[in-house]
Amino acid sequence: MPGRIRGQLLKGTTTLLVLTVLRDGELYGYEIAQRIRERSGGAFFPSEGSLYPALHALEADGALEASWQESDRGPRRRYYKITKSGLGMLAEHAQEWAAFSLGMGHAVGGTER
Amino acid sequence: MRIDWLFGVAYIVGFGAFLIAAVSLVRRGERRLDPGTGPTRTPSAAQSGDDDATSAYLDRVTAELRLPAVDVAEVRAELADHLQDSIASLEAEGLDRERATREALARLGSADELGRHLRQAHQSTRRLLAGVGGGVFAAGGGFVLGYLGGILLALLLAMVVFVITSVLARLGVPLPDLNDNGDTLNSVLLGISVAAAAALATRYAVRTSAGLSRRAPRSIAIFWAAAGAVGFGWYSIFGMRGAQSWPGVLVDLCIPVGVIAAAFVRIERPMPHVGRWAVAIVLISVVGVSLLGFAFSEASVSGGTSPTLVESGQPNQPVDMHFDTVAPLAPVGWLPGGNQFYGGGTGPDWDGTQITAVVDPNAAVPMSTAMANWHDVRFEAWHGFLDNPSVSYGIDPHYSSPFAVQPAAVHDTSIDAVFHFERMRSAGSWWVILTAVGPDGHRYRLGDVGGGMSHFNGSAWDWLTAPL
Repeated sequence: MPGRIRGQLLKGTTTLLVLTVLRDGELYGYEIAQRIRERSGGAFFPSEGSLYPALHALEADGALEASWQESDRGPRRRYYKITKSGLGMLAEHAQEWAAFSLGMGHAVGGTER
Repeated sequence: MRIDWLFGVAYIVGFGAFLIAAVSLVRRGERRLDPGTGPTRTPSAAQSGDDDATSAYLDRVTAELRLPAVDVAEVRAELADHLQDSIASLEAEGLDRERATREALARLGSADELGRHLRQAHQSTRRLLAGVGGGVFAAGGGFVLGYLGGILLALLLAMVVFVITSVLARLGVPLPDLNDNGDTLNSVLLGISVAAAAALATRYAVRTSAGLSRRAPRSIAIFWAAAGAVGFGWYSIFGMRGAQSWPGVLVDLCIPVGVIAAAFVRIERPMPHVGRWAVAIVLISVVGVSLLGFAFSEASVSGGTSPTLVESGQPNQPVDMHFDTVAPLAPVGWLPGGNQFYGGGTGPDWDGTQITAVVDPNAAVPMSTAMANWHDVRFEAWHGFLDNPSVSYGIDPHYSSPFAVQPAAVHDTSIDAVFHFERMRSAGSWWVILTAVGPDGHRYRLGDVGGGMSHFNGSAWDWLTAPL
């Protein structure tokens, strides 16, 4: 997929991707980016510049909790954990995305509903 | 009685809860201003292993943030951590250190844009509203604490001044006479207390607002400084009434300046936590108050107008009260019998001092008839002669003219006028004489109404614009 088109498609999905990977446990920023890439088989790789504003905005909204924890190498890392409110937000976003992707599939595939 | 007791308990508990909540709110806001005392110990830039290129990039990001110190430190550490991982990963893929660093920075994108987006993520409208509300609440708590602290500070200063002046007096050093029955002391005490209260209220508001709204204190300070300077400035100059003096007015005028200074000076640094020093200051203050109370036990410390009329004919009055300084006494017979003035009275403080010359209600003719041949009837206020600090005994012969004159309103059994001695800076001890121009065109003294002692009672503006 050309990078420009992929970038446009990813716009607005960072929140969903972040919440999805954090559902499985606490991760720090770089790990989150890597986990998204791994889970999508390399298809999705959010812009690193947009990842941290998204993480901080989700924290401000109460969807994530952040804490500094000791790491096995180097300095302390900032880990993010999804909250109860974040799980609700994830369910809502996932539902919206499912409806959107189904609609897009029908539209692009030309299937009559 | 039971209701009063319950009300007292509820008042103390409620007020205490308010103060505790306000201070807790301030502390909560402040935790975001100081990286060293925050809930999360963040790594320093040096610990994060910044090199020159990443340091320069992170500097540009943090320059755009305009967040409290703890947030800036956290963002910087987090991004440094990310870059370290990213560079290590790229090096593992075969890039040399320099290219890996360039690539890692390129993946994060424009430093300015990243800084702006991070700032927007932190500074939501909800947080701004929380900051404003928290700031107002914290300002209330800060005002109360500052006022109490200001009283202690003022008393400590008074104690120091008292000790210094006592020593100087013993050494024979000439000192200015500040014997104004406590007006200077009262006005300065009030001014210092309000100044401390206003300064602490503004400082608490800035720091709490900054912490809760996630904005840099300096970007918040300008709004609180403006609001505080206008609000407290108006109150200190026009709204705060009481005893006044030049030193007191000077302190009042410094209040808005103090508010602005409190909003900006060292605002990026954490506020000092007084701790055990507070206990020491309280103890010192208690001792100081006791010493002051002992020292000034003989002095009269009171504000407002407190006229003490001393009528003519009292057995303790001096033989010569220097009334001839005003005008010669009206010749006998120029006023009908029964129309001799024999007394005076005063009105409430807030309406000035009402001077009334009273005549016998059973006089043969009404006052208006008796005064038919007189004109320009007026009361003249002269500086009184102080033989005793609280009682006026006649007119001070050092003055050749009255310091205030009021035209008299003539009624059937009395003649009256209102003097605003409480608005005159140098009224102090006064004596009021009734005079009028007689049939021969000369001014005569019709009677002395009485004297008293007044204290200036008004705002700093009243003092500055008051007649001498």
